[in-house]
Amino acid sequence: MTDEPVVVPDYRLDMLGEPCPYPAVATLEAMPRLQPGEVLEVISDCPQSINNIPIDARNHGYTVLTIQQEGPTIRYLIRR
Amino acid sequence: MNWQEFKRQYLIQFWNPLPAVIAAGVLSTYYFGLTGTFWAVTGEFTRWGGHLLQLLGAHPESWGYFQIIGLEGTPLDRIDGVMIIGMFAGCIAAALWANNIKLRRPQSRIRIYQAVAGGIIAGFGARLAMGCNLAAFFTGIPQFSLHAWFFAAATAVGSLAGAKFTLLPLFRTPVKLQKVSTARPLEQDPMRARNRFRLGMVVFLLAVAWGIAELFAAPKMGFAILCGIGFGLLIERAQICFTSAFRDLWITGRTHMAKAIVFGIAVSAIGIFSYVQLGVAPKIMWAGPNAIVGGLMFGFGIVLAGGCETGWMYRAVEGQVHYWWVGAGNVIGATLLAWCWDDIAPALATDYDKINLLEVFGPIGGLMVTYILLGIALAAILLWERHFFRRKNATATVKGLAYDR
Repeated sequence: MTDEPVVVPDYRLDMLGEPCPYPAVATLEAMPRLQPGEVLEVISDCPQSINNIPIDARNHGYTVLTIQQEGPTIRYLIRR
Repeated sequence: MNWQEFKRQYLIQFWNPLPAVIAAGVLSTYYFGLTGTFWAVTGEFTRWGGHLLQLLGAHPESWGYFQIIGLEGTPLDRIDGVMIIGMFAGCIAAALWANNIKLRRPQSRIRIYQAVAGGIIAGFGARLAMGCNLAAFFTGIPQFSLHAWFFAAATAVGSLAGAKFTLLPLFRTPVKLQKVSTARPLEQDPMRARNRFRLGMVVFLLAVAWGIAELFAAPKMGFAILCGIGFGLLIERAQICFTSAFRDLWITGRTHMAKAIVFGIAVSAIGIFSYVQLGVAPKIMWAGPNAIVGGLMFGFGIVLAGGCETGWMYRAVEGQVHYWWVGAGNVIGATLLAWCWDDIAPALATDYDKINLLEVFGPIGGLMVTYILLGIALAAILLWERHFFRRKNATATVKGLAYDR
């Protein structure tokens, strides 16, 4: 959990303070703007996002590389 | 497994929602057997509204709605009341264990308006239908009360309208996609995490001790407290969200939570059936237009608010300010319904029958009808998922072709 991610993101979405469903919706809207192979970092403090963002990303054809939970903050690294 | 691993895996990391919802189904079944009532929260929220009005000098105890649901004593004297205190204790303990309490302020004022308005609509609709995501759905369907099926179907439709509405540009705050070259460091203060964990244990142990002490004085109250703690732990640790179960079918095509809830209900129904066969009276409500109108309002309201009556409870204690407003909206909406109930009840509810599927189709027939309907619900969810992604892939291909040209 405290390991630093080895993957380096290309873009970041800062969703701190936003409740569901907006973090998941913004993630799905942002992904097509990346080039294939690029990585998006999503930072969210909506705990519910743990049940949304990873499953939605996979369902929509992206690869979830890491999910890190540090206290109230969760980081998702998703590759297009 | 040593203590540190156990702590990380079970007390800090989130739980998988599928087993957690099934566990909630099992626990809610025992809860019915142990206390004689079903797991429900909004009736008690309505009573809170009634007590507030009493403090202001009004006499809501004379209203017809409170004649039905009762307004005697204080929350500490009622099964629903102590169960909800247990639930809050479970939610607080679970959030403290994971250092997941943080004051999260809304990013935009529109969120407050949507929380209050959605909360009022959902609270009003839930009580009009005599339940919420619990009593008129998750624990209502296993009671074999037809009204819960009306409510569930109407909630699905209402949530579709809610999903369309809440994605309007009005509600979208600008989000910037930033170009970065490094991950943002994530850190939490280990000292604070440790202190929060210990505080969570204190809350948990005090609540359990209260529940056990109460068991000897008044067994039903004690069981209600202990089950409440269990419900609270489950909904916070697994982030069980009935709103997302409906809403995200339409928005992102995700069916995970919806399927989990169907399984949870299926596990519960046979257990409730066994208690009913042994002579416990099921809770049956009017299967009138109230269940449909209430479901439509509830479905729309929970999506607008971002959470339902159980959803705001754990999010509020996590420090999500947005959900304090949803909770307030729920109490206001439920109280408004109680206030106007006497005028609308005959036309919408009380002139209709309370339909028990176990009486209409006989015990085995009613049980079969319930499982067939659950099977149809599951099939509909799976078909919808397939349709959603086929349609999405088809439009993506068309867009891709246009782009290539």
